[in-house]
Amino acid sequence: MALPLRYSFRNVLIRWRSTFATVLGIALVVFVFVLLQSLAAGIEKSSGNTGDSRNIMIVRKGSTAESASLISRENLREIQYFEEIARNERNEPVISADVLVLANLPRVNNNGEANVLLRGISARGAELRPQVKLIAGRWFTPGKREIVVSSRMAKRFANFGLGQSFKAGTASLTVVGWLDGGGSAFDSECWMDADECRSLFERDLYSSFLVRPVDEAAGAKLLERIEADRRFKLKAEKEEAYYQKQTMTAAPIKWLGGFLAIMMSVGAVFAAMNTMYASIGARTREIGTLRVLGFRRRSVVAALLIEGALLALIGGVVGCAIASLWNGYTTATMGFETFSEIVFEFTVTPRLMGEGLIFAVIVGLMGSFLPSVRASRLPVIDALKSV
Amino acid sequence: MTIAGFIARNALRNKRRFLLSVSSVAVSLFLLVTLQVALRELTNPINDEGSTLRIIVRNKVSLAQPLPARQLPTIERIPGVAAITPFSYYGGLYKGDEKFTSFAQFAVDPVRALDLLSDAKVPPEQLKAWIADRTSAIVGKMTADRYKLKIGDRMPFTGQIYPCDLEFKIAGIYEGTADDRNVMFHQKYLDESLGNPGTVGTWWVKASSVEEAPLITERINKAFANTSAEVRAETERAFQLGFVSMWANIKILIGGISMVVVFALLLVTVSTMSMAIRERFRELAVLKALGFRRRELFAFILAESFGLATLGAFFGAGGAWLLYRSLDMPKLTSGMFVVFEVTPQMLALAFTIAAVLGLLSAIAPMIGVARTSVVQGLKTLD
Repeated sequence: MALPLRYSFRNVLIRWRSTFATVLGIALVVFVFVLLQSLAAGIEKSSGNTGDSRNIMIVRKGSTAESASLISRENLREIQYFEEIARNERNEPVISADVLVLANLPRVNNNGEANVLLRGISARGAELRPQVKLIAGRWFTPGKREIVVSSRMAKRFANFGLGQSFKAGTASLTVVGWLDGGGSAFDSECWMDADECRSLFERDLYSSFLVRPVDEAAGAKLLERIEADRRFKLKAEKEEAYYQKQTMTAAPIKWLGGFLAIMMSVGAVFAAMNTMYASIGARTREIGTLRVLGFRRRSVVAALLIEGALLALIGGVVGCAIASLWNGYTTATMGFETFSEIVFEFTVTPRLMGEGLIFAVIVGLMGSFLPSVRASRLPVIDALKSV
Repeated sequence: MTIAGFIARNALRNKRRFLLSVSSVAVSLFLLVTLQVALRELTNPINDEGSTLRIIVRNKVSLAQPLPARQLPTIERIPGVAAITPFSYYGGLYKGDEKFTSFAQFAVDPVRALDLLSDAKVPPEQLKAWIADRTSAIVGKMTADRYKLKIGDRMPFTGQIYPCDLEFKIAGIYEGTADDRNVMFHQKYLDESLGNPGTVGTWWVKASSVEEAPLITERINKAFANTSAEVRAETERAFQLGFVSMWANIKILIGGISMVVVFALLLVTVSTMSMAIRERFRELAVLKALGFRRRELFAFILAESFGLATLGAFFGAGGAWLLYRSLDMPKLTSGMFVVFEVTPQMLALAFTIAAVLGLLSAIAPMIGVARTSVVQGLKTLD
């Protein structure tokens, strides 16, 4: 005969004072786990959210990142006339030859410096990326030393306000607008005119081409054509696929989150065992009585395991709740691929919370297993005699 | 029975609980020390003897922007400059590595570089061979061991930053620098493969004395002010701290997590301590009735919780120290962490936290004991 669930449930509630520390301990473990994984999830979400499904990105063969790629102007002259590439109403090919430059710029409040990714885009560059919206000011005028910065970066770097200007090397750039990437990797970029960018930073070569093929079939053909043509040492792939791979920065954070969670949970299991032993010790007689009433050993074990799991589950819920307070909060670190500051949000997904809760329950079960076995093995007579 | 014996017996009478409490403190402090070590590794770059004299000159725009090779004679003539070499980060992907190569490859001028890399010890005949062969390289011992490389082997790389793939012949293996992982090869080889673009990544400059280093950085910066390639010259230390600054919020995050760990630790110890004391209220009342003073009882409680916490620190922090000394961290983390050393300061921190923990967790039981009268205490059943 199984003990009613209510027995376990009530026990958790009645001894709340002694279990409070354990619950909070488990809550902290889950909190740290969910928080760190939400950082990694934020980086993955920002990359996964980037790009247009119709676009194809072309970079140099061998470079894993756009910022480390170099493509000559001759390649541009040839590729832009490929018939696979769509044309706009003025019959111009929809291709943007971009230049990526890293500029070391000061943060606000003298908080050190960091690399910022400046993207020089061609005339078609903005229409190829419809997810990027101008939210303040205006776009830059081609041929002028003007720049549009990400509004999220504007909060982090000095002199990024509208109308202000900052120095990158010898060049002085005036901020004329703020862009919003809609939670994509473009939120970590600043855009200016490609040719102006090339001349200011003495860059003869482009970094990447972004093109819009006529249709799906033309896109597939273009991928093949660039791969097969031995004149170009170039690699073409779907823009979305390219960005989905840019998540190297998330890997060590994930690893750290897992490591910390496992280490902390060892401590938490010890603490939970302590609490359960004490709680069982305090009701030795009660357990003896249950046995006399005919409850089986395994029923006692099950009831106590459920008690431990419930206790941990409460901790897990609390931990998830605290971690979700951070959801949507913007933070930044150095991106491994671009070698520049990347902005992203803590993203607490339902999946992460689920993982956190499962984790908590495992800690609870491990913490109450030995104590419950011990309780079920108490000789009934001795248990009844104990005070 | 002595008083010390009494305290020890009391602490150990519930051996299981004692063991669990000490272990949870130990695990938490182990974790704390580990986080501190990792944070130090990220924020406190490794140095060797030569680094006090080294000055790194990069393009003012950013490290990714090249410098014109024609700057060399100008820098060389600046007073206080003892030596200079180009120092270009090649950033290749080593054959067999998928996404990421854990050691760096730098193009240098081998003859000029010797003065700058005085910490690197290479047998003279290997050095000679390196200087003589333009396609050869010297490899740090850690990398050589990791990939089981020996002199004469070839190392092929795919260029990720530069549009050229290079293959080096290993001419020598060096050791003695703070980070024996890098591969050094000829700047000329890189130049030729790129069609002589006339650029270098950075300049490494050796100052004639430590005192003069700040002056020299200023002179170099001034020498190229208002030219097409303005430079930023800074000491190696300042250069590395610039890197650290780029980690941005991750530093704060690790610091914050350390705080959470300490807090969790506090919770656990406080609750165990009060559990341990609560179940012997009756005994404490008996002791009181026998004529023990309140402060003597306090001393018992304090000694027990203090002892428990310090024992935890001993196993946790000491364990971390022993473990990280004996593990081959560079190999385990594939080059992410190189030094991973537990410093005396960290041990001191762990023990201080343990001491404070011991004090704090004794407070609640002490108040309980103080508040309870002898009669009440004797009546307690639990």
